[in-house]
Amino acid sequence: MPRNLRIAFAILCAAVLVGLISLHGLNGRIERLGEQQNSEEQARRELRAPAISTSSDVKSKAKIFWAAGGDATAPVEIEMELSAVPVQRAKQVLHELIANPPTPQQRTLPADTTLAGFYILSDGTAIADFSDELSSEMPSGILSEEIAVECIARTLESNVPSLQRLKILIHGQEVETLAGHVDLTGFFDLNPPAPAQSAPVAGAQ
Amino acid sequence: MNCHLRFSNRELSVGRILRLALPLLSVVATAAPPIHAQEPAQQAPRQQQVPAPSPPTATQAPPLVHLGPLVVLDPAHGGTDTGARGAAGAVEKDVVLMFARAIRAELDRQGFRVVLTRNDDSDPSYDDRAAIANAYGDAVLISLHVSSTGTAATARSYYYRFSNSFAQASNASSTPSGLTPWEEAQRPFADTSHRLADALQLQLAQAFAGSPAVSVSYAVRDLRSVAAPAVAVEVSSVSVSDAAALARMAGPLAAAVARGLAAFRPPAATPAPQGAK
Repeated sequence: MPRNLRIAFAILCAAVLVGLISLHGLNGRIERLGEQQNSEEQARRELRAPAISTSSDVKSKAKIFWAAGGDATAPVEIEMELSAVPVQRAKQVLHELIANPPTPQQRTLPADTTLAGFYILSDGTAIADFSDELSSEMPSGILSEEIAVECIARTLESNVPSLQRLKILIHGQEVETLAGHVDLTGFFDLNPPAPAQSAPVAGAQ
Repeated sequence: MNCHLRFSNRELSVGRILRLALPLLSVVATAAPPIHAQEPAQQAPRQQQVPAPSPPTATQAPPLVHLGPLVVLDPAHGGTDTGARGAAGAVEKDVVLMFARAIRAELDRQGFRVVLTRNDDSDPSYDDRAAIANAYGDAVLISLHVSSTGTAATARSYYYRFSNSFAQASNASSTPSGLTPWEEAQRPFADTSHRLADALQLQLAQAFAGSPAVSVSYAVRDLRSVAAPAVAVEVSSVSVSDAAALARMAGPLAAAVARGLAAFRPPAATPAPQGAK
């Protein structure tokens, strides 16, 4: 092999080596930056979250639904400050559902989820507007999405008896599914007048 | 053409030719979907996926044609939509395709007519998948999923449950034409879907210990626009430590689905809503 060609080949190899090393370093920096951004965003969300307390708050027992092993959900009684105003009360129990599961295994909603808004219409329709994380960080699958929606619906139903049905929005928008499976274009019944059909697993509405 | 020459070379009697050819013609007639606007990329694979019965010969008996409905198997996800991903490397879109192929092989063996909504790494939309089932007058759809949670090695079947309040709203807005809105296509089939889901769940519970005894009703998006009995079957889960454990479930799953389908008979008089096609 001619000397010039060998030199060119050696330079090329060195350049590739340097490129690979710097690419590895760059990748690590990007990952660190991403983590930092996530935690900063989480802290910012926590700071901006309005305090959910009203003058009518009294310490009472709330029923919050979390995962109960396998495919089931179950209520846990929590003593907490609860407002007499239905909208505020709903916000309080949903915040508890997201933020304070008894154990990590009982968590059903992604930890970074925030409740962006909650409204009650005159016909008893509850509109819960969650942040993107409810969708983007939800483990994929019918069962996991079903359990998440059930925990939201049953928690609201148990603590705000005036609610008739629930509409879930993500980032202020109606979306087709929660994370690819459960249909969010319709409503979920709350406080049904009588049980329609037996559906023994946790998912039954 | 080949078939014709073969018959003529064998000098079969007219009666025997008719006896051999009639089942073939009936399968082609019932399996062929009505012509409607569709992208060529969608249409071509569907034609390939319709199982062509082997032509009858003098030594081969005519294919057994199951009298039950045509089965549309829908492996969920595909393409960039991978579905659930497990730490051990299991990817839902691949696992469900493997399940669908195993179930199709089992159903083929039992003489069912089977169509897959995808047989590669494509990702048809929810509506495209529903449209495939809706194109047939006599079909059932089984959507296949793998969860990311739940008790390992169990399976659940789901049928669509419409909200009661949504029913009131849609009844109020129904038009005099009687056409069924696309998003309501599943509603007339709620009872038969429930029966199908229960028939499948009975077999799934026997095949996979720890599975629920009865099916679950929930708003599973895949099923909403299907104008036919439709269920989703979800197996747990991609979180298994050994990805091969899911592959080992394919055989029992296929057998359970075949037994469930054999036990299920949709009422012949169930009308297909006009507006959903």
